[in-house]
Formats: sequence, C-alpha cells, structure tokens
Amino acid sequence: MRLLIINHIENAIESLRNTRTRTGLTVLGVTIGVASITVILSLSGGATKVITDQVEELGGNIAVIRPGTALQPNRIDDITSPMNNAYAASNLTDTDIKRIQTLPDVEAVAPMMLISGSVRADDTAPANTPIVATTPDLISITNFPIHDGQFIDEITNQDTAVVGSQLSIDLFGTDQSIGKTFKIRGKSFTVIGVLKPLKRPINYNNVDFDHAAIINLDSGKAFNQNTVQLQQIDVKATTKEKLPSVLSSIKKTLDETHHGERDYTLLTGDDLSKPTSQFFYAVAATMTVVAAISLVVGGIGIMNILLVSVAERTREIGIRKALGASNGHITAQFMIESLAMSVAGGFAGYVSGYLIAFIISRSFLTFDPLFSWQIAAMTFGVSIVVGTLFGLYPALRASRKDPIEALRQYH
Amino acid sequence: MKTDQQAPVIDLRALTKRYGIGDAEHTVLDGVNLKIEKGEFIAIMGPSGCGKTTLLNILGLLDRADDGDYLLDGTSVESLSGLRHAHIRSNQVGFVFQNFNLVPRLNVIENVALPLTYKGVRKTKRLQAASKMLANFHLSEREYYMPWQLSGGQTQRVAIARALVNDPSIVLADEPTGNLDSKSSHVIMEELSDIHKRGNTIIMVTHNPSLTTYASRVITMLDGRIDTDTKVPREPVNKIDTTKRRLDSHKTETEKAVVIKPQKKPKAKKSRKKGSK
Repeated sequence: MRLLIINHIENAIESLRNTRTRTGLTVLGVTIGVASITVILSLSGGATKVITDQVEELGGNIAVIRPGTALQPNRIDDITSPMNNAYAASNLTDTDIKRIQTLPDVEAVAPMMLISGSVRADDTAPANTPIVATTPDLISITNFPIHDGQFIDEITNQDTAVVGSQLSIDLFGTDQSIGKTFKIRGKSFTVIGVLKPLKRPINYNNVDFDHAAIINLDSGKAFNQNTVQLQQIDVKATTKEKLPSVLSSIKKTLDETHHGERDYTLLTGDDLSKPTSQFFYAVAATMTVVAAISLVVGGIGIMNILLVSVAERTREIGIRKALGASNGHITAQFMIESLAMSVAGGFAGYVSGYLIAFIISRSFLTFDPLFSWQIAAMTFGVSIVVGTLFGLYPALRASRKDPIEALRQYH
Repeated sequence: MKTDQQAPVIDLRALTKRYGIGDAEHTVLDGVNLKIEKGEFIAIMGPSGCGKTTLLNILGLLDRADDGDYLLDGTSVESLSGLRHAHIRSNQVGFVFQNFNLVPRLNVIENVALPLTYKGVRKTKRLQAASKMLANFHLSEREYYMPWQLSGGQTQRVAIARALVNDPSIVLADEPTGNLDSKSSHVIMEELSDIHKRGNTIIMVTHNPSLTTYASRVITMLDGRIDTDTKVPREPVNKIDTTKRRLDSHKTETEKAVVIKPQKKPKAKKSRKKGSK
C-alpha cells in the first residue's frame, strides 16, 4: 500500500503539472486564505507575547486589580460592547490602596487613575494624551527608565509632572524639557522628569507611557471633584513565592471593603495579557472568521477544478479501471491531487503570511509577529482539512463512474 | 492460475444483456451459453452490432449482464465485490481495446506500465517490464513518445503491449489487429500465440478471417447469439465453418500469403507458413 501511495503522489504531481495555470490559480485561492489566517494568528500572538514578556521581565510578582468583573476574551459580542463597564464609575478607591499597602509581603502599590482632559503647552496641544495620576510607587513596579530628571515623589511640589519621551517632543519639540510648563485643564504643571522611549504601546497598564503625562494622585483627585476612581491598581509582592498569599489577602481585604461584592478582578501572569488585549482578541476573532470564509472559497475552488478534472478525465478513469484500478485507487488519486493543492497552498500561505505580517509589523506596529509551532501546525492542519473536505466529493464521484460508461465517452 | 481441469475458466449460462428500456429496448446478448477452458485461443467473429464487444466487456468484468450467470473459475462474478472485480481485472485479465484507449497525457512507456501500478509494482521495475514488453513489439525507440505522436499501427501495438504487461491469464482483445497491415498483424498474432502457448486463455474479436487460423476455436455470433462454434484443429481444412469459408473466398492475394493452415495446437511456429490453399 505504501508503494501505491508513492504511485498516487507521482501521478497527482504529474497531472497537476500538466495543468499548471489552473492548478496555480486554485492553489492561490488556498494561499490567500491560509496567509490571512497566518497574519492574524502571528500578529495577535505577537501582541500577547509582548505583554507576557513584560510580566515575566518584571519577575512574575506583579498582580493587577481592575474594577468590574472580567470579560471572557475572544468573544465576538465584545466587538459591539468591548467594555461593558466602560461607562460605570470605578469602584476602586484610595481606601483600597491604603488597605492593600498595609498587607504583609506587599512591596509596592501603584494606583492608576486616568484623567480625562487635554494637555496643552504654549502653542501645542497633542491630541489623545493619556493623563495618569499615580503614586511614586509606580516606578518601582514598572521600572521605567528615566531619560532626564526624576520620577514624581512625595516631597516635591504637587504640581509637577513626568512626561513620556514622545509627549515631550510633541509638546516642546525637544526631549530636554525639564522645568518647562504645560497645562492640564487650565492648571499648570512643571516637568520634573522625562522618560526614556519605551516603545511599548501594548502593556498591562493599558497606557502608552511614551505619550503619557504622569501626575500625582492628589492632583488627579483635584480634577475629579476630590474623589478617587481607579482604573487599575498594580501590586508588587516582595517575591514571586509570596504572590499567592498576597493575592488571597488582597481578596479578603477587598471583600471586606466592598461588602462581599466581587466587583473587581484580580489578575496575574498570563491572565494579564488577555483582558488587556481583549479588543484586539475580538478583532482577531472577526478577522479569523473572514479568513475562514476566504479559505472556504479556496476550498470550493479546489472542488470546482477537481470536478472539471474528473469530467475531463472520465475516459482515463475508465481506462484505469479496466486495467485494474479499484474504486479506492481512483478515490486516492483524486484525493491526493486535492491534498497536494491544499498543502501547497497552505505552505505558500504560511510563508507569504509571515512576509505580510513582517511588512505590517515593521511599518505600523511596534512588535514582531510570533513564531510558534502552534501556528505552523494550525495552518498545516487547516490545509489538510480543506483538501480532504473539498476533495472528497469529486474523488468519490470519480471512483463511482461505471467503467463502460466512462470508456464510451468522447468516442 | 491453477484450476482443476473439470471447471472451465469461463462458464456463461444464458447470459443476457439489454440496452434501453421499454420500446427502445434492444437485446444485445440473447442467452449466450459458452464454456471456455483454460488455454483456449478463441476467435469471435460476426457482423457489427452482434454483441461481440459487449460479450468481451462482460467477460472482462467491465460490464454486468442483466440475466444469466457468469462463472469465472467456478465462482459466480455476481457474488463478488467491486474490489474483487478490480483485483481480477488487475491480476487475471488483459484488455486490448478496439480504440486503443491509451491515456493521452502519459507517454508510451508509462501507458504500458500503467496496469502494473495497480499491482503495486515499484516504478523502476514497472518501467523495466514495460520496456521489455515494448521491445517485443519493436517499439523500443518509441518509449518516450506521446500517444498522439504514434502511427495507428504503433498505437495498437502499444495497446497490446499494455494488455500483456501484467502477464494476464485471460487476454481479451477487441480487434487487436483491426488497423494494422498484414506484417504488423503478424507480429501481434505471434505475440498472442506466444502468450497462448504459456497456457493462457485468449479471447479475440476480429473481422479478419485470416487471423482465425491462430485460434484453437472459432465462434461466430449473430444477433446476440452464438451462431457457430468450431474447434478448429478437429476440422478438415475444407470443412471449416461456413462463415469463415465464405469470408475466405473474398480474401486478397496478400492476405492469403499470410494465412496459415490451422494447426492441431499452435505450438509449432515454424511449420505455420504453409498457406491455406
């Protein structure tokens, strides 16, 4: 039987070679489908990897508390309501911070409060600048490299700010902006530090710090009618081993203050990357569906061309049967042709998918696409499935031809 | 193939084949009874449309009869699966078609090697066997030609080489020399008798009466029935069946030159060139 399979493969390659253009176009259909799947998987994988790498880099002793309950990632309805608690006021407050700070084995607690408002210097006003109100602890958790000056602290004037490298350039045209002032909602802030370029627009803090202005929590509180509403609390345990006990004590504390209501989400490790890129996941899921459709179209192309091929070779099928080919032989012959086309398309799609992914990531994104055996296995598996699924009907049709009827064709 | 002497290789019992339905129904084979022993060389003659090709197709398991029994080696073929039929076609039967039926996109040697593919023979061995078979038919220098590059006679020889390559015990030939000049016909008939001498059964349909001299038994068909059935070696030359004699009288001079007196058993190739008259 092994020998026969080699025969069938030789045969299939021979017959595909005879119809190069048509085979090429059919393979192209599958290539496009598989390429789009590869692009989507490798880029979304790359984005997730960026965050997990960051978390690992930090030593794995970071936990994040977010308001609201966690969403299931990867769901299509996340598109229509990406954050179903986006309009609800956050229920994490400064009392929570203070309580968590007193817990054992907690090294640092950094709240993050996003202030709505625009940032404005003398004659520039960069749009979409995130304004983060936090405590000096943030730097001990995120280890931001400082380009110039210092991070916010308790001692200096409240109206000081640290700006991201890109924001500094956008506001003042230079990254040497220590001592310069800018206004948030009409209130002046003096720059006391500039961050080094991080180039990490995707991170577990959901803030692109290159574009952000960081101010003290108290200043932020003043912008929000003296109440604190936190988007996130970063907690750092003293060691990685202590993290589980810290987590349980955080849970206990928050349950107390929130009257037993689980209106917060506690995230560590890999879980961090998921809700962060939730919208990204939703987009990726939709795009995968679109790619799957194009793959189905490619598969229909295979089926179509095989049916043509079966019709054209009806006589040949009759001859082969007369010379001793069984139905199984004929089925195998056409199945292998189908698989050869889909696997060739899968391989071409895998390669060109990564080419496209690299072009996209180098020109628009800050991270590289992810290489993993899962993606390779996925594309290979998908092309096998497409080849089998869409080759089966033409192959069975070919094998069921009556030899006499088949031989009688085109006499 | 080892069969006990009692059971004929092929045993047809009231075999009937019809085409069409209702008023358009046409009976091609009308209750054919025929026993063919192992090692016979049978020539089937008869006018066009008398059911020769249909009979051959049924014998080769390409077609099924509507009524009657076909026993191959004592087994009714009706009871066998499609896969068994394919095995029998692959291992026991060699087909020479009326219209060559070479696969147009394969070259000559690949066409000849094709039956071996389904026996699971390795490619190199397959091509070697095909090459050897082609050499028998003086086609060695045409091995890598495509079928459309061959003359009619060459195509026919390729078709016969292909039928014989898997060393079948039953060779079914539908006018194997139909398109050939007498010299080429001779080459082919020599090859067929060679196969025959190795103990194989040959059933050949022909319009050329001169070729029946190679046969050990001549059957003439008329309107789906067996008209005459003559075991040639037992008949005196002048009493060969009437159809054949009638047709013999229309022969041309060249054909006469090739026609050979029937032998008791076609084993002595050298003594054949005696002429029939």
